[in-house]
Amino acid sequence: MIPEASLLAAHDLRKTYGSTPALDGASFSVHPGEVVAVMGPSGSGKSTLLHCLAGIITPDSGTITYAGRELSAMPDAERSALRRSDFGFVFQFGQLVPELTCLENVALPLRLDGVKRKAAERTAREWMERLEVDGLGAQRPGEVSGGQGQRVAVARALAGSPKVIFADEPTGALDSLNGERVMELLTQAARTTNAAVVLVTHEARVAAYSDRDVTVRDGRARDLEHSA
Amino acid sequence: MNLLDEKRPAPPSHPSPSARTTTALRDLGLGIRFAAAGGREGWTRTLLTAIGVGLGVTLLLLASSIPHMLDARSARSAARSVSDTSGIQPPASGTTVLRLDTSSDYRGQEIDGYLMRAEGANPVLPPGVGRFPAPGEMVVSPALRELLDSPDGELLRERLPYEITGTIDDAGLRAPNDLLYYAGSDTLTRDQGARRVSDYGRAGKSEPLQPVLVVLLVMVCVVLLIPVGIFIATAVRFGGDRRDRRLAALRLVGVDIRSTRRIAAGEALFGSLLGLLAGAGFFLIARQFADLVEIRGIMAFPGDLVPAPWLAALVVVAVPLTAVLVTLGAMRSVVIEPLGVVRRGRERGRRLWWRLPVPLLGLGVLGLTGRVTETEPVEPYPIALGAVLVLVGLALLLPWLVEACVNRLRGGPVPWQLATRRLQLDSGAASRAVSGVTVAVAGAIALQMLFAATSADFERATGLDTSKAQFEASSVNITGENAAAAVAKLRATSGVEAVTGSVTVDASRPGDYGSDDVRPSTTLTIGTCDTLRELARIGACADGDTFVAHPTDQESAKWVDKTARKGGSVQVGETSGTAPLLWTLPADSPTVQVRPDELGGEHEGIMATPGAMGTVTVRGATFQALIRVDETVPDVAEYVRNTAARLDPGMELFAWEEIEQDRQYADIRTGLMVGATLVLLVIAASMLVSQLEQLRERRRLLSALAAFGTRRATLGWSVLWQTAVPVTLGLTVAVAGGLGLGWTLTWMISKSVADWWVFWPMLGAGGTLIMLVTLVSLPPLWRLMRQDGLRTE
Repeated sequence: MIPEASLLAAHDLRKTYGSTPALDGASFSVHPGEVVAVMGPSGSGKSTLLHCLAGIITPDSGTITYAGRELSAMPDAERSALRRSDFGFVFQFGQLVPELTCLENVALPLRLDGVKRKAAERTAREWMERLEVDGLGAQRPGEVSGGQGQRVAVARALAGSPKVIFADEPTGALDSLNGERVMELLTQAARTTNAAVVLVTHEARVAAYSDRDVTVRDGRARDLEHSA
Repeated sequence: MNLLDEKRPAPPSHPSPSARTTTALRDLGLGIRFAAAGGREGWTRTLLTAIGVGLGVTLLLLASSIPHMLDARSARSAARSVSDTSGIQPPASGTTVLRLDTSSDYRGQEIDGYLMRAEGANPVLPPGVGRFPAPGEMVVSPALRELLDSPDGELLRERLPYEITGTIDDAGLRAPNDLLYYAGSDTLTRDQGARRVSDYGRAGKSEPLQPVLVVLLVMVCVVLLIPVGIFIATAVRFGGDRRDRRLAALRLVGVDIRSTRRIAAGEALFGSLLGLLAGAGFFLIARQFADLVEIRGIMAFPGDLVPAPWLAALVVVAVPLTAVLVTLGAMRSVVIEPLGVVRRGRERGRRLWWRLPVPLLGLGVLGLTGRVTETEPVEPYPIALGAVLVLVGLALLLPWLVEACVNRLRGGPVPWQLATRRLQLDSGAASRAVSGVTVAVAGAIALQMLFAATSADFERATGLDTSKAQFEASSVNITGENAAAAVAKLRATSGVEAVTGSVTVDASRPGDYGSDDVRPSTTLTIGTCDTLRELARIGACADGDTFVAHPTDQESAKWVDKTARKGGSVQVGETSGTAPLLWTLPADSPTVQVRPDELGGEHEGIMATPGAMGTVTVRGATFQALIRVDETVPDVAEYVRNTAARLDPGMELFAWEEIEQDRQYADIRTGLMVGATLVLLVIAASMLVSQLEQLRERRRLLSALAAFGTRRATLGWSVLWQTAVPVTLGLTVAVAGGLGLGWTLTWMISKSVADWWVFWPMLGAGGTLIMLVTLVSLPPLWRLMRQDGLRTE
């Protein structure tokens, strides 16, 4: 059963890689402005759940609804367009494009969505300022520290004013100090813009920044709100 | 005394030379072990290098086999030849054979054939033939047998109505695709044009190459082999990024910088040695298929492909050495630290000062070599050195130019930005991949300029007007009374529009003439009224009529009248050995004016219709016919050849061509085409491997880009620009360098540039290469954009 007023909800998702089940009846929901941590041990299916929710992969069965639209039934092009316009992403290693400058990296989602270069870079600068990396605009990712790079990645995720931010182990490659700073900035920015955050982590310290936890074990998500 | 009290030997401050050698060898060995047993990643890299180097080595070994292949072909060609320059035929004996050349063409392929009659019980056999063919039988080459057995050979079977009773073995063939037959006859005579053969292998001396052709040949070799060398140098750098990361891990456990370089050299050495073995293997495999695969008409026997020992030795030494030097050179731009790999910054940018002199030096060497004359032998080595320096110099200029240009590129749509930024970050890989194209195109432009400048010397305008006739037939076996029938048969052939045919024979004034006197002579042309009207302005005409045709030149006309005395006798045909044949020119023969024929010639002299000659058989008469065909009729040439063969197997049929090309010149051009095809394929493979390697390195990034909604087209265009920008710059360098080299070489052979626009087809080839590499890169790109790359667990 999908809770009412949820922005993004999944019900009974199943996904198998070869003979290995990654998701086995997982359900999940998130509201606008809510930060939900998806927790669980390695190999439990957290990332697969995140990829399904973001429309990067399609589940073998089950439903995903985003803003009242059936995500799992959308063709690839439509899901890609949705990712460009409504979703933002932060990955463990930042995944910044090494040849672009930090400013160009932050502006990239906007440019992919058709925004003109100057306007995109203006917005990107504002977000870099909010994420305290405004001095790195001309640097390439290889020339900045891991923490700075991850903040640039957060700025990139937020630059397109997404409704949902998917963060997959965003602090996994950072020390605790840098990790905490990144989480503070990410959650603050999300709350300011009323964006929902789906945060995949296995660290309780990181999950503490969330409003709610969902645990994934053996491909099954125990979403307390969902089962209520 | 305890362990702490034990005195340790002090480490030597400077290792001894033997210790240094041991360390170096240990590092090399370690590198070899990493390459050989470095797990899946190490093996992938080693395999990529080995395949790349192997392909290059295969081409080098094939190239080094060419001298032996050419020698073997000409030796077999000479062994089956009977031509000598003396013109003296041996006396008939038990072993002599009468042989008539009945070679022809079939759908653009040369069919070599001979009709043979044994004059005794033990006729001499041509090489590769086990038994002399009996009358009505023939022995054929395997390729001809295959052609005749196939549906494609249907028309040819009509031309060769002999029973196949044997196969010519390799000893009698120049190449596996030789189309050759020997047919038996019991009616062949010397009068039919046959020559007497007492043995084989009497070929005249082959002509030495003209100096200009030597220049062309040297250039073809240089242009084709340098890209192969560049390809090998590129191949040893395949997977370099991953190797560097592995070396960084070694630095973490205490390996110093020198050792990492030696380890890398060891890896490269192993890869290149494996490449040598792979190349030898590929070569042996390719050699086995040499008699099955035809590239632009060239085919070889496996046994002919034997590398020249010194060239093979050079390959064996040069390839590993190049691999090690290239690896060490590449590592100069990388700092491998224990915590990772840092590309050495290019704050200073690439330097032009040491790159520019190389091609200029090459031009200087060519300039100092001076002009090649038509008579003096040419020294190939300075020309090769000059050309190598120019082409390698262009390859050295390219990285500088690519860097200088891409650093100025700004803005643009996302795919353009991704591509240009990528090139700005590291243009070296792209430049390396493109340098092969640059060198090949520059060389090809220079060669095309040379070919264009020298074509006038090696391509002769025949002056034949192919709009009036396309074939010329001649036969000594068709006599006056058969000529009209022969013309009628040719005319009735499918696709033939018009035929003019006549029989000509020498005619002279009878009587005794002293050794200092010149016997008046002219030509007697025998043909139908229609035929004669093609040659002279004849009005009323009926069978039995005769005419005296005057040429335009009045002096020549008087000479005709001295022989063609109306009412007087004329001596016609061959006079040697037999009693002269006397024929009387009717007194009422009108005098007419000649009309130029399709060849532009004038047929003055006596003209007679077949009825006027009665039953007289004229020896030495030659039937000649011009044939116009409808070229839109498929296989019309083969229909004409079949009719000609039916009329007289020894009839010579020439297809008229407006341009006639020198054989050696044509062979060099064909060789260039064959080599260029192979080199372009290798270059495309090299660019593709580099591109795929780059994409694989960026697997996770590509997945991330796909995750936040990047369109496939965006990344597809980015890959296209990433290939197109360096290739375009490479082609620019190639055009400039190629034109410069071409101009210099043209100057050397004392010619002027005939065409400055020869580079357009090369630009087309470059464009095709860009599209090809991009298109083939797209499926792996789509695959790498899948979410698998995002998985970190």
